Amino acid sequence: MRRRNFLAMGSAGLLTARTRNSARLPIEACGCSFLRQAAPVGLQAFADINSGLKITGVKVFGVSLTPKSDRPYVFVKLETNQGLIGWGEGTLEGKASAVMACINDFQDFLIGADPMQVEHIWQSMYIHSFYRAGPVIGSAISGIDQALWDLRGKALGMPVYKLLGGPFDPRGVRGYYHVDGAGRERLAQIRETAQQQGITCVKGGIPGYYEWLERKPKIDRAIKAIQLLRETLGPDIDIAVDFHAKTSPSVASVIVKEVEPLNLLFVEEPCPPENVQAMAKIARRSTTPIATGERLIASFGCRELIEMGVVDILQTDINHVGGITALWKVAATANVSSISMAPHACEGPIGGLATVHVDASMPNFLVQEICGQVTPNATDKVWQEWLGFPAMRMVDGRFPLSDKPGLGFELSEESLAKYPFGGTRPMARVFHDDGSVAEW
Amino acid sequence: MNHTSIEKRARLLANLAQQAKSGAAKPAALDITVIRHFPVREPVSGNRYSLLRITTRSGLIGWGECHYDPNADIKALESTWIGRPANAYATIPPSTPFRAALDMASLDVLGKAANAPVYRILGGPTRSKVRAYSSPQRGDFPVSVIDVPTPIWRNQGKAYQNRILELANAVPADHDFVLAANGFLTPGDAASVATTIESKHPLWFDEPCPHSNIDALRKVAGESVVPLAFGAGIDDPAVFQALLREGLIDLVRPEIGIFGINGTRRIAALAEPYYVAVAPRHNGGPVMTAAAIHIAASIPNFFIQHVPQPKAEEDRGMRREVVSPTLETSNGGFLEVTKSPGLGITVNESALEKYHAS
Repeated sequence: MRRRNFLAMGSAGLLTARTRNSARLPIEACGCSFLRQAAPVGLQAFADINSGLKITGVKVFGVSLTPKSDRPYVFVKLETNQGLIGWGEGTLEGKASAVMACINDFQDFLIGADPMQVEHIWQSMYIHSFYRAGPVIGSAISGIDQALWDLRGKALGMPVYKLLGGPFDPRGVRGYYHVDGAGRERLAQIRETAQQQGITCVKGGIPGYYEWLERKPKIDRAIKAIQLLRETLGPDIDIAVDFHAKTSPSVASVIVKEVEPLNLLFVEEPCPPENVQAMAKIARRSTTPIATGERLIASFGCRELIEMGVVDILQTDINHVGGITALWKVAATANVSSISMAPHACEGPIGGLATVHVDASMPNFLVQEICGQVTPNATDKVWQEWLGFPAMRMVDGRFPLSDKPGLGFELSEESLAKYPFGGTRPMARVFHDDGSVAEW
Repeated sequence: MNHTSIEKRARLLANLAQQAKSGAAKPAALDITVIRHFPVREPVSGNRYSLLRITTRSGLIGWGECHYDPNADIKALESTWIGRPANAYATIPPSTPFRAALDMASLDVLGKAANAPVYRILGGPTRSKVRAYSSPQRGDFPVSVIDVPTPIWRNQGKAYQNRILELANAVPADHDFVLAANGFLTPGDAASVATTIESKHPLWFDEPCPHSNIDALRKVAGESVVPLAFGAGIDDPAVFQALLREGLIDLVRPEIGIFGINGTRRIAALAEPYYVAVAPRHNGGPVMTAAAIHIAASIPNFFIQHVPQPKAEEDRGMRREVVSPTLETSNGGFLEVTKSPGLGITVNESALEKYHAS
């Protein structure tokens, strides 16, 4: 708001300056800074076909479950002239304050705009950000986009998955829990609980940190960790293994080759995401399906990976990719390359629930992540306390679908106030024995 | 695709199949209870199209349209879709008979149930008016379509290029033009025509040669800067992907009569990261025009919509009789974006009997 006013004054100021001294140019005269800004998101053009709903407020909440959390949830609440509200999530691990500030930077795009025009607002936020979207802008857009969809659904009286043309399966969407770090005994318990609860899939990881080439003991340890999962969980549970981009393409390929007989559901992020050719090199030498994509922003960021068609699964994250709008587009585009979707979800409950709505409308949906455990933990308790139901807990191996409009939950600002923002904390910083930087 | 990835995909598909098995759903208001097919025919042009009407448990009625196919099996559609919810439009498999019509009719119902135009259900409006053109050119649409002359032998010479140049020069000064070859030129001729015409700045060169020969397209796209458009007869989005991947297409033209609203939107999403615009193909009736407006008003990368305007007044009268209000009127070269719920149209069933294509 302030910036637009400043620019408006700026052009007026330019005229006065010209009359006094035509040679003087304003400080910001680079040619692009004095372009007139249209009122929120081209509002005049839509005067005849707007919905009557207007965004009147944008609130951002940093929510730290523990004072030192590295991933305070970033929640967005949009308020309207008709009392309807929408909630969204733009949590960005390790960079909470940056996203919160970025969401506030989008105030001008939102106040006065018609919240039903989600595609239009999305385009404006993405394109008019000029530098397009990295993780900070992507997460801010994600939070706003989810809140817009929540609002839209409530205004139209429909759950979001129905607006998107779902559900494929009215029972819900298949999911998996994490089993990282569990030993033989714990894994045996997990197997039993999973079988009782109808859970069909879990995900583990590989221990330690890896240099770009590795010694035999380290490689053997990784292989053993994966073998242990299959041995203890048995043949009937699907097992995914997250390499978390700890390995280089060279090391990943060696490990993946050895675990081929285990018939894993997929191996996740066998190398870092920037170099698509490197990911392709691993995928081409592997019969185990390869999954990646949680760090990619917008369908623009996924285009190369999708058109090459070498990976099997995309793990788009609704809190970074650009919300529901962008996740839907990535899934639609991936489907053309026969790529399945197993969306990432390791942040708060709003993004998780929003993802489930999109999952229910994807022909190429495979399985939905949640960073929870087979047995509910303290985080699950907080989520239940906030939303009034066990959010992102599976029933019979699936995340159920709600019939309520929008994203299907109510949330009060008061309930969040118990977990005040503890500030931005970095994600884990890990190092090899010699002090050099390691990837986790 | 190598042997390895075939195996990999087979394994993934097995997983998917397991998930696709639907559970028993409770009866719901939007469940489809009746599906009825109305094949219609324009009296003079003889152009046929299929209209589909669905009725829901709650009594809502939705209309859709797709290409006329005498072999399409309405019984197969009924046996799969009666009892399923109209909101589940994304779950219509591409192989479904009357797929596009069912998709539109479902969205029409969903819009009516939510008391909102279809574009609003889909996240729009992204624009307040829809640029359009017609062929033959009618009304105040400021776009001419030049059909390239039928070649008299397989490879044409300079005289052929000059004839096309003359046609381009005859376009009114305030008109843009599209050069349409309907896919019948040889790659050499297509490339020559494209080079001859490029400084005339046509909007695009439509179907210069068959899209099935990708080497030919490489030649045409490599020799000229004229924007190229393909889409006629394409029923697999992967064909568009192949052209986009290599930069051989500047305008994607999915057939609404094949893909419906959702399928066309998915192809628009595919084209977006290539910075490629969409101008859906539409050679059907007035219900499809309504669907086209909702597509245009819900996608970011829309460029222009073709609106069929039959030569005979009798045919145009039939279109106005079948669907009201007519959404096919040009206002300064644009169609208006409707404010009414669903597709924003009413279909006159007695007119459907009158123009029944038997």
